[in-house]
Amino acid sequence: MKNILIMLLLLTFGSTAIAAGDIEQGKIKSYTCTGCHGIKFYMNAVPSYHVPRLGGQNEAYIVSALKAYRSAERSHSTMQAQAGSLSDQDIADISAYFASLK
Amino acid sequence: MKKLLIIMSLIFSVSVFAKGNVVEGRKKVEQVCQSCHGTDGQGIDNTYPKLAGQFADYMVKALADYKSGERKNAIMSGFAASLTEKDMENVAAYYAGLKANKLHDLSIK
Repeated sequence: MKNILIMLLLLTFGSTAIAAGDIEQGKIKSYTCTGCHGIKFYMNAVPSYHVPRLGGQNEAYIVSALKAYRSAERSHSTMQAQAGSLSDQDIADISAYFASLK
Repeated sequence: MKKLLIIMSLIFSVSVFAKGNVVEGRKKVEQVCQSCHGTDGQGIDNTYPKLAGQFADYMVKALADYKSGERKNAIMSGFAASLTEKDMENVAAYYAGLKANKLHDLSIK
């Protein structure tokens, strides 16, 4: 019984909980991100403010930000559209890559 | 010519970054922000964003959105609600100005 419970838990949560990010994959998958986040002093148009710096950002925070955009809990039209196309693995990879840029 | 460029870049950078008062910002950070983000702006845990070197105007926008409820976070909405617009500019100026282990731009390859 205990084994079944553990297996069920692993099946349900295991794959997402241990989805470790791959830095090299993240570098490839984040190509689109650099179109805004890779341009120095790039501005969000309306309202006007600088697109945030992400190089060296904490990994788990980027994961939560992208997932919040994907679920539309956090709103920004461009970011919701971008994050909407990402899988959990994509998000893990991209976040690992940004965090690795010390 | 070089001097002129330096002066111009200084004027530019002041207008872009230094709307807030860094000294006042530090005081507020010590009261409100540092228990999670640290006075060094690194975040005490990986789930909290690093703020050192982040753009001040982006942080002001984030704080205003937490205060207005447009951006939702149980912890941040409470803290942002306690800040005035001036406080937001000050704490943002403080974190934006930190140099140690700061955030940086992504490079295009």
